[in-house]
Amino acid sequence: MNLKIIWMDFVYSVKAWYRSKGGMFWSLAFPVILILLFGAIFSGIGSSKYTIYIQDQDQTEMSMMFNATLNATKLFNINIVKADVNVTEFIKEKNIKSLIVIPAGFQQTIQESHTNPSARVDLQFYFDPSEQTTTQVIRSVISSILQEMNKNLSQSRTIIGVREISTITENFNFIDFFLPGMIGFTIMQGAIYGSIERNTKYRKDGILRKLLTTPITRTEWILAKMLFMMFLAALTTALITIIGILVFGMTVNITAWVIIVIIATSFLFSGMGMLIGRFVKEEETADTAAGAISFPMMFLAGTFFPLEQMPGFLQTIAHVLPLYYVNEALRNSMIYLNQNESLINGAVVIIFAAVFFISGVLLTKWKED
Amino acid sequence: MIEQRFKCPNCEEIATFYGNPGETKVVTCAACHMKGRLTISGEKQDDAVAIEVSHLKKVYGDLIAVNDISFAVKKGEIFAFLGPNGAGKTTTVEMIESIRTPTAGSIKLLGKDVKTQFNDVKEKIGILPQEFHSFERLTVRETLVYFLNLFKKKADVDEIITSLDLTSHKNMLYKNLSGGLKQRVGVAISLVNDPEIIFLDEPTTGLDPKARREVWGVIAELRKKGKTVFLTTHYMEEAEFLADHIAVIFKGKIIAEGTLEDLIRTYGQSSVMHIKKCVNAPEVIEMLKQEGYDEISSEGNGDIAIKIDYKERVLDILSHLRHDCIEYESLDIRRSNLEEVFLRLTGSKLTEDTA
Repeated sequence: MNLKIIWMDFVYSVKAWYRSKGGMFWSLAFPVILILLFGAIFSGIGSSKYTIYIQDQDQTEMSMMFNATLNATKLFNINIVKADVNVTEFIKEKNIKSLIVIPAGFQQTIQESHTNPSARVDLQFYFDPSEQTTTQVIRSVISSILQEMNKNLSQSRTIIGVREISTITENFNFIDFFLPGMIGFTIMQGAIYGSIERNTKYRKDGILRKLLTTPITRTEWILAKMLFMMFLAALTTALITIIGILVFGMTVNITAWVIIVIIATSFLFSGMGMLIGRFVKEEETADTAAGAISFPMMFLAGTFFPLEQMPGFLQTIAHVLPLYYVNEALRNSMIYLNQNESLINGAVVIIFAAVFFISGVLLTKWKED
Repeated sequence: MIEQRFKCPNCEEIATFYGNPGETKVVTCAACHMKGRLTISGEKQDDAVAIEVSHLKKVYGDLIAVNDISFAVKKGEIFAFLGPNGAGKTTTVEMIESIRTPTAGSIKLLGKDVKTQFNDVKEKIGILPQEFHSFERLTVRETLVYFLNLFKKKADVDEIITSLDLTSHKNMLYKNLSGGLKQRVGVAISLVNDPEIIFLDEPTTGLDPKARREVWGVIAELRKKGKTVFLTTHYMEEAEFLADHIAVIFKGKIIAEGTLEDLIRTYGQSSVMHIKKCVNAPEVIEMLKQEGYDEISSEGNGDIAIKIDYKERVLDILSHLRHDCIEYESLDIRRSNLEEVFLRLTGSKLTEDTA
């Protein structure tokens, strides 16, 4: 293997990219614009129906009345959690975003409040701070219901309150959710379209045929191009992260594992691009095919919207999309500091990367039929 | 005693014989058993042959794209592979360049088998693929340096730029060049490793006449430098202008091969003298008929066309015209060309899409 050739090809790729206004826009300016735009406006948008879990430890008429009132708003898909389940474990295990606990003694405290002016009971509202919109909606609905109930019970004071418990120790905003998704999405776009250009346009232009008759090997060429893809990925990650820190005051955690996930992501989507280019040989059609694959994946894999806001069948689909695991791995490692979750998702990314990249390399060829 | 390769004129089988320079011997083709005389030349064959193709075949399903063709290209010559679109030119050249895998047959480049030893000759060949477009956002010079760096053997890039008259464009991005300049850069790329053999696959297709002439000039210069050029084209003027040796390919078969003179002599018509607006045409026609010129035609407007069998007849007719003080507007002699050769061989015009 000739490292000089690999380095030379890389340097020329960077030069050519630097001169391409389109390339620069899509790999740098576009993600920055999206981050700024979405970061500024996105938090206000929510979905029409939210999933909420309720654990009724009281199992009385009053607690059931609260459940019924919540249900009557028709804003929620309500799931009941058995009274003996440990909610903290349950939330962690099932990755639950919103859960309300009606504590035992709920009805009794309310009844005591007629005679005891200091009687008070608090519902426990477990929420995921990254789900800002959802949390906001649930919080305001609970607040209205409780306000009404308190008014009926006593004109002047709060008998039923709510105690909010964050499922994650820190407070997160939408931008915290969005930034890692944007990194994954930008790397995906760059890798897929770059790979398609190399496998369709370069084929049509005779560049691959020309290279086949020179001493450069396919391995050297692919490694040179992957080096370039990783350079772009590093640049994108750095830029998006800097915007996140400077503009939105985020705390972003870049670890060796994040870098590994980003490298694996470059290989994953380069391999996917190779496969698209292998089966759809015309450049324009391949671009359309790439759009048809990457665009829905962007929305379905939880790049912009939390999966919980989507219908159940779409959530199931998300779990077979590689970008979902990239998003989850980056998000958990960079923002939530949930390294175990990141390791699991990152491992899936690496497996996807190996499968796609190896198939891409094996199935594409420079030779003509 | 030296080795001499010989191609059978009947079945195109290439065989090897041994003898002393100048010696003539009777030989028999191993494939078709045709007998013939062969004079051993003084030239050592291994050094003389650049490309040797034997019984090459390429089949795609039911389509036979290249049908059992054999030929040899001598070192230092421009060999034109002439044929209409779809005749099998690019398929053949891409098999020689190891871009496509032949269904059958063998190819040797500078004595090396393309199937097994292609890597050994990569440094010695330069290729301009059909419809080649290089990296859009590299300058001309950067493009040449990029390809130069892929090879161990390196030519002087600035010298190539000068010799191809690209100096004033060397810092322009490839995407901003005109079609003719792009093709010149394509030829320049094929020279970066100072190759012995250069393959140019339809280097002037899509260019305007001026740009085409410019590229021809570049190719003619390669011959002066002693390079072997394998040129595929469907422009007969290109083959006529450039080629030392022409192979005409049609529907996957080589239907004629030789120098331009050979082809015209064997397959062409005689030359024709055209006299335009001759003042007393009927009398001139009568006079020439008496002199033994049988094939004369006239369109009644004073234009006369006379078939000329050999060149001495030109002077003969001119002296008659001068002697009788015949007045006319213009006179020209049109010799038979490749277009006519092709028409005669295939019944169709070369420039039409006969694929």
